[in-house]
Amino acid sequence: MSFDSAALVNFATMTESDIIFKLSGLRRTYTVGSEQVHALDGVDLTIQDREFIAVVGTSGSGKSTLMHVLGFMDSPTAGRMEFESKDVTGINGADRADLRASRIGFVFQSFNLLPRLSVVDNVLLPLTYSRSAVSNKRELGMAALERVGMAHRSSHTPNQLSGGERQRVAIARALINQPRLILADEPTGNLDTKNRGLIMELFASLLEEGITLAIVTHDEEVAAYANRRIRMEDGKVVEDSKS
Amino acid sequence: MNLLSDIYSGGINGLREIWANKVRSFLSMSGIILGVAALVSMVGIVQGMLGNMRASFEQSGGILKLEVHSAEAPEAQQHIAGISPGMTWRDIIAVQNAIPLAVYTTPIVDMRYERFIAQGRREGAILHGVSPDYINIGSREMEYGRFVADMDIELKSPVIIIGSHLRDELFPSLDSAVGQQLRLRNQVYTIVGQLAEINSMPGQRSRFNWENRMNYIPATTAMSRYNGNDVVNEIHITADRVEDLPDLIEQIENTLTRTHRGINDFEIRTQEERLLELKKLENSFTFSLGGIAGISLLVGGIGIMNVMLASVSERIREIGVRKAIGARSHDIFIQFLSEAIVISVLGGLVGLVASVGLLSVARNLIPAGESISLVPVSAMFYGFLFSSTIGLLSGIYPALRAARLDPIDALRYE
Repeated sequence: MSFDSAALVNFATMTESDIIFKLSGLRRTYTVGSEQVHALDGVDLTIQDREFIAVVGTSGSGKSTLMHVLGFMDSPTAGRMEFESKDVTGINGADRADLRASRIGFVFQSFNLLPRLSVVDNVLLPLTYSRSAVSNKRELGMAALERVGMAHRSSHTPNQLSGGERQRVAIARALINQPRLILADEPTGNLDTKNRGLIMELFASLLEEGITLAIVTHDEEVAAYANRRIRMEDGKVVEDSKS
Repeated sequence: MNLLSDIYSGGINGLREIWANKVRSFLSMSGIILGVAALVSMVGIVQGMLGNMRASFEQSGGILKLEVHSAEAPEAQQHIAGISPGMTWRDIIAVQNAIPLAVYTTPIVDMRYERFIAQGRREGAILHGVSPDYINIGSREMEYGRFVADMDIELKSPVIIIGSHLRDELFPSLDSAVGQQLRLRNQVYTIVGQLAEINSMPGQRSRFNWENRMNYIPATTAMSRYNGNDVVNEIHITADRVEDLPDLIEQIENTLTRTHRGINDFEIRTQEERLLELKKLENSFTFSLGGIAGISLLVGGIGIMNVMLASVSERIREIGVRKAIGARSHDIFIQFLSEAIVISVLGGLVGLVASVGLLSVARNLIPAGESISLVPVSAMFYGFLFSSTIGLLSGIYPALRAARLDPIDALRYE
């Protein structure tokens, strides 16, 4: 799967095909006990190619739920959601899994590498589920590790790596299926200052390669790397600014 | 990606998980191992023993043989039962002359247990007086010399055909005892034949083969030299084909009723009853052992389910990660089901190996155990099939639980 050529087009000439996500009036409501919790309470949002979005907000503001919905891990309760100009509001679990496997890359705060698999096998794991017939898996995996500067550790297990190294491997895993969008939930939350800087620079370089990023963060310094900032409060977007 | 490659990669993954949790996996396998080993070795032992019984059934003439035994006359004939001469040599002559369907006919003059003396040694063995036809009923074979001949019957010759037991005990240094003499009730008999030894398996000897303790003299010799009358204990008759049996039975009945002057003081036994007994025995063994083995495999299956449930709760986070990066519920289901199948298949294979060990022990411990096969193919096939099925079934519920996990909840799980 190659990148959309439109991804390289200038901002000013954005067309419909540059739009990745278009959410309108999106709601996600949980029932906790007898109470209704509106984790997303009417979100209108458009995400385009070559954006680096920082989603900020206090905990409970709905930013994680937004990430889950964008990552096809959760379904909206109401509203409309378009992905690549297709209505994906009510698609079933298997279709959502396929989109996760082929179009979206995930990076988590706690890395979430599988401890029993080697570094390169962790990176290759999404290929197992993408149902694309790839013959040169190993080379792809090594290329992705090369991209994040971790090729020399390919046969190690995650437990032998530092936190920063693990997050690099996790990013390589997110890259393996050449996603259009990478979603990261507090990707630097478990890292020290030095590693935080390295990871954010890595994200910034991915943006230059045409990958769109959305990062949930508490950290203003991390948010400063982004070119668009979305603040959430009580399930609503209360600030949306581009820099 | 098709189902086969899913199962293949699931199997590889399963092996990795099993290797990562060696002790736990072995414990969960042990139920299946014991179940399969018990099933296969028990069925193997029973098959061997029943095979023995079948072989001895065939050896003694099989389904084509009829036996005529003396019996009490019916109530209505009790007061005149005395006019019957009973079973005598005349019955043999009558059957031979009057019934063409009777292919082979021999009397059994039962001398029971006798003491034989030769070259200063003594040994007890069983002695029967028979006709030449005896060797054609069943499957005894001569090793040296000849069996009872027509001439012996005619002349009431003092000749004897011995079995391997007597040769071993009286003439240990001789391979063939033909031509030697032995003493029996102070009379000298010449050994004219020696029967081939009966072994369930070549090269091994069973002390329990009573056939090898049998020795034979001409029926007429037995009657005249011992009993002083012409009474015979049994008459054995064979037919050529199973279809002839009903007619043959009727004709024997008619003929003997005539020679017994109308008195029904005999009974004709078919081997059908023995065959039915044998089949009944086979069935009851199969069902009772099958039941026991089934229960133990069921317990093994519960063990696997238990371990798989533990494995699922231990790896909730992993399931969340896999789902987040694109695994469908179906993929997770196959992954955990494959693990259960791998455990049960491995357990089954180890069980099969263990059963070979158990069977070889049984062969050495059980009397006449030589007929027990070390590799009872059909029992192994079904044991393995059954254990794999149990593994499959017991893996379904844990795999469903894993597949149904919500990725967000699973990722939050600590």
